[in-house]
Amino acid sequence: MTEMEVWNNKRELGNLSEDERKIFDQLGLNESSRRKFLKGISATSLSVWAATYFPPEVFASAAAALPDNPIKLVNEVKVNLRINESVKSLNLDSRTTLLDALRERLALTGTKKGCDHGQCGACTVLVDGKRKLSCLTLAASCEGKEITTIEGLAENGELHAIQKAFLEHDGFQCGYCTPGQICSSVALLEEAKRGEASYVTDDLREITKDLTLSEEEIRERMSGNICRCGAYNNIVQAFKEVHSSDDEMPTWEFATPEQMENAKSS
Amino acid sequence: MKTIKASGIGKPIDRIEGRLKVTGMAKYATEFPVENKVYAQAVNSTIAKGEIVSIDTSEAEKAAGVLAVLTHKNAEKLKAFEEEMPELGTTTIAPVLQSNKVHYYGEYVGLVVAETFEQATYAAKLVKVKYKEETPDIHLDKSRAKAYKPTESSDFSRGDMDAGMAAADQTLEATYNTPIEHHHPMELHAVIASWNNGKVLAYTSQQMVDNSTIVISDTFQIPKKDVRVVAAFVGGGFGSKLNTDRHVILALMASKKLGKPVQLTVTRNQMFTNTGMRQHNEQNMRIGAKKDGTLTALSHETLSHTSTFQEYQEPCGNVSKMLYKVPNNLIKHRLIPLNFQTPCSMRAPGEATGSFALESAMDEMAWKLKMDPIDFRIKNDTQIDLSEERPFSSRLLIECLRIGAEKFGWKERKMEPRTNTNGNWLIGYGVSAASREAPYKKTSSKVIISLEEGKAIATIQMDATDIGTGSYTIIAQTASEYLGIPTEDVTVELGDSNYPVTPGSGGSWGAASYCNGARAACENAIAELKRKKNIPEGEEIALADLLKQNDLTKFEAEGTAEPSEEFEKYSVFSFGANFSEVWVDKDTGMSRIKRMVNVGSAGKILNPKTAYGQIIGGLTMGVGMALTEQTKIEPNFGNFITRSFADYHAPVNLDMANVEVIFLPEEDKIANKMGVKGIGELGITSVAASIANAIFNATGKRMRDLPITPEKLIMAKLEPGVES
Amino acid sequence: MRPFTYTGAKNKEQALQSYSPTSHYLGGGTNLLDLMKEDVERPDQLIEVASLDYKKIFQNDKGGLTIGGMLSNSETANHPEVRKNYPLLSMSMLSAATAQIRNMATNGGNLLQRTRCPYFFEASMPCNKREPGSGCGAIKGMNSLHAIFGYSDSCIAVHPSDMCVGLAALGATVEVQKPDGSTRIIAFDDFHRLPGSQPEKDTNLMPGELITAIHLERPEFSEHYYYLKIRERSSYAFALISVAAGLQLKGGEITKAGLAMGGVAHKPWKFKEVEKFLVGKKPDESIFEAAAELAMKDAKPFEGNTYKVEMGKKAIVRALSQAYARKS
Repeated sequence: MTEMEVWNNKRELGNLSEDERKIFDQLGLNESSRRKFLKGISATSLSVWAATYFPPEVFASAAAALPDNPIKLVNEVKVNLRINESVKSLNLDSRTTLLDALRERLALTGTKKGCDHGQCGACTVLVDGKRKLSCLTLAASCEGKEITTIEGLAENGELHAIQKAFLEHDGFQCGYCTPGQICSSVALLEEAKRGEASYVTDDLREITKDLTLSEEEIRERMSGNICRCGAYNNIVQAFKEVHSSDDEMPTWEFATPEQMENAKSS
Repeated sequence: MKTIKASGIGKPIDRIEGRLKVTGMAKYATEFPVENKVYAQAVNSTIAKGEIVSIDTSEAEKAAGVLAVLTHKNAEKLKAFEEEMPELGTTTIAPVLQSNKVHYYGEYVGLVVAETFEQATYAAKLVKVKYKEETPDIHLDKSRAKAYKPTESSDFSRGDMDAGMAAADQTLEATYNTPIEHHHPMELHAVIASWNNGKVLAYTSQQMVDNSTIVISDTFQIPKKDVRVVAAFVGGGFGSKLNTDRHVILALMASKKLGKPVQLTVTRNQMFTNTGMRQHNEQNMRIGAKKDGTLTALSHETLSHTSTFQEYQEPCGNVSKMLYKVPNNLIKHRLIPLNFQTPCSMRAPGEATGSFALESAMDEMAWKLKMDPIDFRIKNDTQIDLSEERPFSSRLLIECLRIGAEKFGWKERKMEPRTNTNGNWLIGYGVSAASREAPYKKTSSKVIISLEEGKAIATIQMDATDIGTGSYTIIAQTASEYLGIPTEDVTVELGDSNYPVTPGSGGSWGAASYCNGARAACENAIAELKRKKNIPEGEEIALADLLKQNDLTKFEAEGTAEPSEEFEKYSVFSFGANFSEVWVDKDTGMSRIKRMVNVGSAGKILNPKTAYGQIIGGLTMGVGMALTEQTKIEPNFGNFITRSFADYHAPVNLDMANVEVIFLPEEDKIANKMGVKGIGELGITSVAASIANAIFNATGKRMRDLPITPEKLIMAKLEPGVES
Repeated sequence: MRPFTYTGAKNKEQALQSYSPTSHYLGGGTNLLDLMKEDVERPDQLIEVASLDYKKIFQNDKGGLTIGGMLSNSETANHPEVRKNYPLLSMSMLSAATAQIRNMATNGGNLLQRTRCPYFFEASMPCNKREPGSGCGAIKGMNSLHAIFGYSDSCIAVHPSDMCVGLAALGATVEVQKPDGSTRIIAFDDFHRLPGSQPEKDTNLMPGELITAIHLERPEFSEHYYYLKIRERSSYAFALISVAAGLQLKGGEITKAGLAMGGVAHKPWKFKEVEKFLVGKKPDESIFEAAAELAMKDAKPFEGNTYKVEMGKKAIVRALSQAYARKS
């Protein structure tokens, strides 16, 4: 079957592989919206959107292990990476960072490369529950550690509360720093529970758990994730809403007819 | 959690692609699964001017995994520039590795391709280049004699500047400097390039897909129809991805040679030298005013630099042509060719930088006149664009200033600097006016409507991009509005050159152009379906019923929107006002933005949630421009000494503060049928001035060179007349 | 990065035995991997030591606290004992980098951070620290971020650590494992060195030595402390100037003072003379100003960093004032 025939088959019958089903879960599409989605996607756009949604490697957790890279590597290391609760066995160049292993070997491209030098936070993942930079972590040093990436935060199609809040509060624009921001936020929720301090904490000697973080505290603690689009205020709102369970209201409004009139007349 | 279920334009719905972004599913350039791809790493020059004497690639070629090394010696011949100093545009060819000449530090001199990323990056360091070095021109100050006037339109004048100054009761002359800045979108410029039997497919991070196909086809001299560019998601651009830069060409050259797809990512370090920048602008301002605040003269003279082989001019002075009613006006732009890469547009080119000079100078003059700076601006408002001698399609600048002042609590501001304090903090309020042209360009799109379980669903296709601007969402809202179906039933497909042509994202024309293009397709579809069944144009009928009556389960239509003749008779701008409260530590010189109010008048707001995002994004970049961002030149080697993201300080979360944004309800039907004007660049315009003005109000120090860093503030002297 | 072999050391012995002069211990990797990607550091072997069992914090026999060399910066800064008795150390550590980096960086690694001097990073420019004998580009180049104390003709770079400034004010010793299995103790002030004619050496560590612990003195500044960091953005930036200030007060008089500055020298700059000067004085603004004058009297700035003298004075006054003003 040609690529196009496979696609048409899916469109008509909704025949999905296990991987594709998982992708739909991640997209939050249930049975009827799946069909609608498949119909809505046009055949001409197949290669773009099919690539977006259906690369077989995207949900590597569904596959036991990817084939080994056939390339002969100098200083090869064998690593078992436990990522999003599934173990991948890889033969890697000793120089391979966790970031490149995720993106280039496991097709887990949700984790982003923004600078490759620990200066932006886009590559933030959770390692044993703590936020760390995958660009300055050698994959070889991750044996036996539990790694969670952006792809592993939603459960059975249900987004993590932080993911939902980012969506609702528009905590992103281009979306490139977003996985890092979200992983960082998820970790920060726990850091606040553990009572960890920051540079802007008033008194380091007052140790309490379950901190309620002020806006300044949130900003300082989220300063390791640069957002060049400048969505910081929305990121703070998204975090706050999950952290303190209070509704965060938009800080935009339309001028009223009265305001407009007054501004004119005076 | 609140969930807003809404359809149509004007509603603050969540981004339709948002779920893809928060789950890591959105695919950026190098994330498409392309089989058999190999990895490339570019090699950069380490001198600023001279010639390559020899280039030894033997060690690199021998390194593990290396497949090819490209240099000027073995690179294929590409289209060359036909004239001296051609102007840089978004369709300008991007020849690379064509000679042994070096024009700037960091210019590409080679490319290494290997099986893996690790192999390629390592082998790139093994390429040994020997140079014959020449003394580069790297100092604006030392090269003043080489300044030239780029084009006739670089200069403008009305009235008599000298007479205007002579007629003034109060005059001001001051020079403002904005440093070299870099866009630094979070997604590195990157491409997966495939050259297959003469056909090109490039997954690349670009703002303008159609223009990208033009650059590629022109540079390689191949038919445009054989080039496909895909940019489904773009991780920020801010102008740096308007041009299709040389890395795209490099990767394609390698792919052509190797017969394999080549992935090339520009490193963050290379993004200082190879993907554009905002150049240093030295802006000299002269203002004359009567005692009552009436402006009598205004001049704005800008000295900038371009590269030694290409011309780019940022129109800093344009804002001073049109913002105020001043009879005597002089605008000049001069360029000096220096041995740096060619600058390019960065968010609000001209306005962001020009408004810093103009709106700082206006504040200085208001202080001299002992006049409230808002009153001073209102006094000189104009509804006519004096530079074009035509009316503004709409101009609500006074409303922006007054409504903002009310919201901000401007009346609490102390006129005398250094009089509002809190402990170690000096507190200042600043204001500035903003204007940004709101262009609108010819745009086409296609709508595909189908019937699914009795419901009509639609797909809109266009080669537009969403660079974080919200294109996906507002286009869906537009289709929803004009097809009369819920937004949830609209799919939007963008960023593929196979789709109908749009102008791409840049110049704040995206929202107006894309949405009117989508509107045109939807209107055509409905009209066509009605015409087939002789249904009167005005009759209301659901889309699903319309399809059923036509006995169709699927229907496609295309549409094109373009500016009307009416549009050409007006000056079409968005307007705004910025208010900042800044606290400056009297000892450390560190500044903190406490809060900001932004008022914007930008036509119909399609989605206030994404529009708000554009505004706060602009404000954040404006904060960076004011306080933290600068690229410094090494005086002896001609490279940028700020060479990493640790040296170049893009603002972080803690640099920002609470922002309140007010949109003025407005529909500018002259601008376009939907009454939409751009907002993507309005947000950054004049922010730096409002902050610098607030810092003057706080400290009594007039900071005319950006960024306003602690070291500069500590060493700055009080402005004459300010009491310590 | 250049090719290297990777050794995950399971214990101290394996780490020490694996060592060769061209290998490098790998802690959190936050500085080393960055420098390897920049081709500044070029080891042919990495010996991962971050997982070695030097991660404890405990009371030492001198009444102070011992913190493990492989413990992360964030675990150290947030340890209840450190926050309670050495809040100056916590504060200095928390001012550095970001949560992600502090989660990775080890205490030992923090001591070994290398300078952020841009000439050090850029292979095409001269730098005696990176390439001995190549010259110093900064002396006649861009030196706004550079030293005003203790530099030499061959190097004017500054040490980038915040934690080390805190440690300098507090007083500490560093315990290292020697390759032969024995240990030695280095006074903190002797750990980092001035550039002299060998700027390639940041510290007095000998080849193969591994930092296993930092011993803190008896807590003296647990009530009056402040770490002030002046930088070009509000967070996630290296210091232009930083000041660690600790005061011990009794009956309205200063009985002990700790004062050190970052961003001004090849090592954390401890003001011993000023610390002595402050003892016995009644703390007030004029005393702090006198202390600041004394501290900066020997500063010799370059063309690009004259601001550091003025900024340094103000920073000292502020840090001492903030430390004093803390409610005890």
